[in-house]
Amino acid sequence: MQRRTLLKAGLALGALGSLPLGASRVFAEQPLTFYGLKSMSGPFASYGKYADMGSRLAIAEHPQLLGQPLKYKVIDTEGNAGKAVRKVQEAIGQDGARFFQGCTLSSSALAVSKEINKAGGVFMTPVGADEITGKDCNSSTFRWSVPTYGAIRETLVPLIKLLPEAKRWYTITPQYVFGDALLDNARKVFSEHGIEHIGNSYHSLQEQEFSGYLTNAIAAKPDVLVLLNFGSQSSNALRQAVNFGIKDRMKVLLVWSAGLDQFQELGSDVLEGVYLGAQYWHQVDTPLNRELVAATRKAYGINPNYPLAADYIGTRVMLEAIIKANSLDGAAVSKALQGMSFQGPTGDELIRPGDHQVLKDYYLLRGKPQAQMRDDDDLAEVLHAGRSFIEVSQTGCALA
Amino acid sequence: MTEKNPLAVAKGHGPALLLLLLVTLIGLPLILPSTTLATEILIFGLAALACNLLLGYTGLLSFGQGIFFGAGAYGAALLMIHLQWGMLGALVGAALFGALLALLVGALAIRRKGIYFVMLTLAFSQMAYFLAYTLSGWTGGDNGLLDVPRPNITVAGHVLLDLADPRHFYAFVALLFLLIFAGALRVIRSPFGSTLLAIRENEARAAAIGYDIRHFKILVFMLSGAITGIAGALYAMLLHFAPLSNIDLMMSENILIMTIVGGTGSLFGSLLGAGAIVLLGDVLSELWPRWLMLLGVILILVVVFMRGGLWGGLADLAKRLRPSPGVDGKTKEQL
Amino acid sequence: MLDLYLFQLLNGLGLGMIYFLIAVGLTIIFGLLNFVNFAHGAFFLLGAYLCYTAVALTGNFWLALLIAPLAVAALAWVVERVLIKRIYHLPHTFQILVTLGIALIIQEASVLIWGPVGKHIAVPPELRGVLIIGDFIYPYYRLFLIGFAALIGLGLWLLLERTRFGALVRAGSESTETVSLLGTNIFRLFSLTFALGVGLAGVAGVLFAPLRGAQPFVGPEILGIAFVVVVIGGMGSFGGALVGGLLVGVVQSMMSSLWPQGASLMIYGAMAAVILVRPYGLFGRA
Repeated sequence: MQRRTLLKAGLALGALGSLPLGASRVFAEQPLTFYGLKSMSGPFASYGKYADMGSRLAIAEHPQLLGQPLKYKVIDTEGNAGKAVRKVQEAIGQDGARFFQGCTLSSSALAVSKEINKAGGVFMTPVGADEITGKDCNSSTFRWSVPTYGAIRETLVPLIKLLPEAKRWYTITPQYVFGDALLDNARKVFSEHGIEHIGNSYHSLQEQEFSGYLTNAIAAKPDVLVLLNFGSQSSNALRQAVNFGIKDRMKVLLVWSAGLDQFQELGSDVLEGVYLGAQYWHQVDTPLNRELVAATRKAYGINPNYPLAADYIGTRVMLEAIIKANSLDGAAVSKALQGMSFQGPTGDELIRPGDHQVLKDYYLLRGKPQAQMRDDDDLAEVLHAGRSFIEVSQTGCALA
Repeated sequence: MTEKNPLAVAKGHGPALLLLLLVTLIGLPLILPSTTLATEILIFGLAALACNLLLGYTGLLSFGQGIFFGAGAYGAALLMIHLQWGMLGALVGAALFGALLALLVGALAIRRKGIYFVMLTLAFSQMAYFLAYTLSGWTGGDNGLLDVPRPNITVAGHVLLDLADPRHFYAFVALLFLLIFAGALRVIRSPFGSTLLAIRENEARAAAIGYDIRHFKILVFMLSGAITGIAGALYAMLLHFAPLSNIDLMMSENILIMTIVGGTGSLFGSLLGAGAIVLLGDVLSELWPRWLMLLGVILILVVVFMRGGLWGGLADLAKRLRPSPGVDGKTKEQL
Repeated sequence: MLDLYLFQLLNGLGLGMIYFLIAVGLTIIFGLLNFVNFAHGAFFLLGAYLCYTAVALTGNFWLALLIAPLAVAALAWVVERVLIKRIYHLPHTFQILVTLGIALIIQEASVLIWGPVGKHIAVPPELRGVLIIGDFIYPYYRLFLIGFAALIGLGLWLLLERTRFGALVRAGSESTETVSLLGTNIFRLFSLTFALGVGLAGVAGVLFAPLRGAQPFVGPEILGIAFVVVVIGGMGSFGGALVGGLLVGVVQSMMSSLWPQGASLMIYGAMAAVILVRPYGLFGRA
């Protein structure tokens, strides 16, 4: 009895299999499809939402590309590197995908960049890991965002100059490969400028309770507390630090802030007087940024934040490279991107040929008191803008 | 207050089950839009199968399967990268890593029962995660281990099977799945397997009869760890990448969800569960970013309406489609 | 140096009281209902979000502290009536699956309602500022938390030890059949207990909100803490939740000076150590 049923079920499955369901591949049209890798679901959904909005803005500027209709497809990475890689493999294998932009996590971007490189595609990403334009660089991958060297230099150095009396600095560092990179760079800056690095507290990847570390820091009596963590850990560390009255005792610097959406979450009470490093700020007055702010307000009714701006410019630059190369061949587009200079949100920007790193500004901001805010998003003022990038020869990148 | 697991272990006929599996394995890449997707389903099917050996057959709810999955991935990757081992060596190595860790975790965790056992596996899972991102020199930390090779099957220097082609890799994984499935089936039907069931039903009684409970639990743990390790290794080779997320708590949770949704106590169910959860995620995530909510609803529905999981549901369906003989051969209608 | 460890000890006790609050609801539910609630962290975050909304509407944190947990408890009561009561008899495996499902629903609903970026709740103005004793600095708000958690703990203890309801809950933990035979509507008792346990998670969420904000994805972390504390103390033991909470808080805080990277990990290490030495936690029973 049982066997017969199972055989029937097996036959049914086999019959299903013979249906031309897989044949959908055959009928896939060939408009140019641009793929956005966004963390729409999962723990980084907030980032993905705005990143997607940014890409869509750029796509909307080019309904047609090289005479073909331009389509945009979102791949939900779910904030999971394994899923991201498999979905990218699928897109490459089944749909002939070539052009990708996005990724929230450095781990996703690193792994995905390898797959895209193997397929001869092009990939532009805003993730922070040094390795993307360092030892894991490749000819298909480009990065729009400032990695650890620049982020540290363009925040620590101006702040050291701003606070000539502050000689004792304390750091709180997350135990990421990325966190260590920030710390290493910070240590170099400290020794170059005669700053006493009086202590460092590491914390784990999942830590959300910082009272212990803050107690440590306060006991060490620094002049400046430097937070080298990011995301929700930095928000909680800052929140709890303010609660501990730390602003009355020392200055606080958050090197790798997330920008406007993080500031909106924290509010001026927490942010007032805090020094913040940022990749992008909507109030910066450059030709492209003015355009971007206007377009974002028109399309979405909000000011652009970092994920939106990063994926907007990443997508836009790739599209322009396709036009410039007048080709849909990955290698040709990559070549067009190399050395390409363009108007970016931070002003004149350039894609460095040696490692495919975009040379752009990093900002030092300071949180504003409520009374000085001209509108709800006027949460910080720009104190300094500049660009520092490690020499290509030092990055460990060997582009063939 | 809680009854013992009310599900009887699925009693399919061995050869028929294998035939069904074969048909499924052949049909999967044809039905699905891509072979990579099919391969991922098989890999997680293996992990769920291994979890089922613990949960469905021995009654052990382990939140530590991610440990073995991640260890298998890292282990195989490191063996291939640093020692240039080939496919077979990497898989055997991964199985050994998985079994060894399972021995450690199992030996300690089974000293406790019920929710305390579960929490011990959870604690070990967190420790493994911690080790994985701390030893970033070996594992790549939060960046993960990149450039994991996928060696071809070679015999005396000649390439037997080129696994770079996704379809070939799928066929290879499918073959492994079939072999492991058949092996697991043998184990379940052996006296060893019956003892596991006895332990699941009533541990005290099984001990009273004279079985060394610890011995059996540790062995099944090691078997489960080995299979999960192989699954992890295959996953690393599929992605050319071993991310940190392989060893985190969510991975263990997902494997458990697949096992339960597929049907605890049914090896074929584990494949169904893996397929369902992976497909659901893919399909739903394209439709709605908040698709996890739907997953939550489905989990609740499965427990309320389909406790036997997908396999139980299919078995029920099959029973209903076939008129059952009543007493004395008369059908229910005639009685 | 000794000073620093003393500070960490005190900070740890403070943290521990908060962890007690997070865990006590879970242990009460398990004690009476033998129910494993994997949605505990989700109700915690719901409490934080409802607090945010209440504060946004009324401008008053104290009002929110009253309303939000009651709303969470009410929701829990409904969920219990509709769903939970059907699965008490099922093995823990299925209870975990269902409550995981509920947790996912709550998490995603929070994103739908309040957006994916978290929300900030300000410390009530009356409690801003820090207490300074010598070199030791401690926020008034955290002191308040210690006191308030202790108050709630006391209130719970009185509830369990001195009221009829409490007597029924304790009796029911021993044997629900007997209690039912003695004439109690056992189902109502279950609903109330479930609502109480979850409501306590909501209270913890509200109280923690000024320190952590309201975040949609914080459920698993809180769940982890809750389970660790409960398991250390012994499932179903009120006193165990208190001792467990304090132990976890102190371990975490001391570790941030001794071995900062391992602070989070040591919580689980402590739990593993306790279970391996005492099979049912510190005060649990078979």
